[in-house]
Amino acid sequence: MDSSRSKVLYWTAVALRVIVGIVFAYAGYLKLREPWALFAMGIDSYHILPYNMVVFAAHTLPAAEVALGLWLMVGFWPRVPSSVISLLLVVFFTAMVHAKMAGQKIDCGCFGPGDPISKWTLLRDGSLLAASLFATWFAFRRLPKKA
Amino acid sequence: MKISAALLMVLLPLAAAMTQIDKERAVGNPSAPVKLEVYSDFTCPHCKHFHEEMLPQLMRDYVVNGKMYIIDRAFVLPHEHSREAFAYAIAAARIGKYQPVADALYAQQATWFTTGNVWGTVASALPSPADQKKVQELSKDPGVLAEIETESRAGAGQGINETPTLVITVGTKTYPLPPAMNDYRLLRSMIDGLLPK
Repeated sequence: MDSSRSKVLYWTAVALRVIVGIVFAYAGYLKLREPWALFAMGIDSYHILPYNMVVFAAHTLPAAEVALGLWLMVGFWPRVPSSVISLLLVVFFTAMVHAKMAGQKIDCGCFGPGDPISKWTLLRDGSLLAASLFATWFAFRRLPKKA
Repeated sequence: MKISAALLMVLLPLAAAMTQIDKERAVGNPSAPVKLEVYSDFTCPHCKHFHEEMLPQLMRDYVVNGKMYIIDRAFVLPHEHSREAFAYAIAAARIGKYQPVADALYAQQATWFTTGNVWGTVASALPSPADQKKVQELSKDPGVLAEIETESRAGAGQGINETPTLVITVGTKTYPLPPAMNDYRLLRSMIDGLLPK
């Protein structure tokens, strides 16, 4: 791989990592500002998790999103936050697609209340997932040996 | 001056009518710390579930002890008979019979939604022929019909597009709850967290 392409890939990965980190941290911050039960109702509306898991997720996810988002932005040891964020985004995106296909008219819950699942929210979260997967791939990529 | 007087003459009876309707379609202490507005439609099965399962629990846990004020709001869905049901219910509110009519409309929802005999259900909740006559007349009143439109538009203006949608207000902060909210334990956690300690 020539060095100019390498540089483009590097800066693309850095930019996407920072964007995903900001979005993730911001989403968590918005949820932390609201009562936890409001987010719990949003999770519960997907009808996927039992009550205890809903309560646990509502208590822990927002803070985890902020922490992981900041960690990813900083870029220290990026394999961990990028992998965990990608995994979470796969779960969120799958749940949203499932709800949309099942005809459930519910809020996405991504950035707090009042964000119904639509083609736009799927496009937004799908793009975020793609960006996160790219950042994860880049974090695990083997660097070419220097001559 | 004349214009102001004319406006007052038009607006005061309207305001009085609004107050009367609000009072009839609300339960609890108006100065309670938590206000809950319920945007619902008589044709909606989830609204029936809320009215019959969750509302009694809210009454028991928060309304009787003065912690919550619950207001019913009309949110007309594009279903046949929805508007007609609201017209009768709000007309019944004007003679102080909203609760029995609303209870009957939800209890017999499947029947009148299928047969289209909304009046049959409303009449069954009004034993007095005089009340039945008043409700039938009032259901055609432009003020009643305007009330339905005003509330539905107000709901849509708040971004509401599903029923039942609950909106909790504590002080100056308003929390619209997710439309598919149906777990009373979570609603209770939310309210308990918002109540002043």
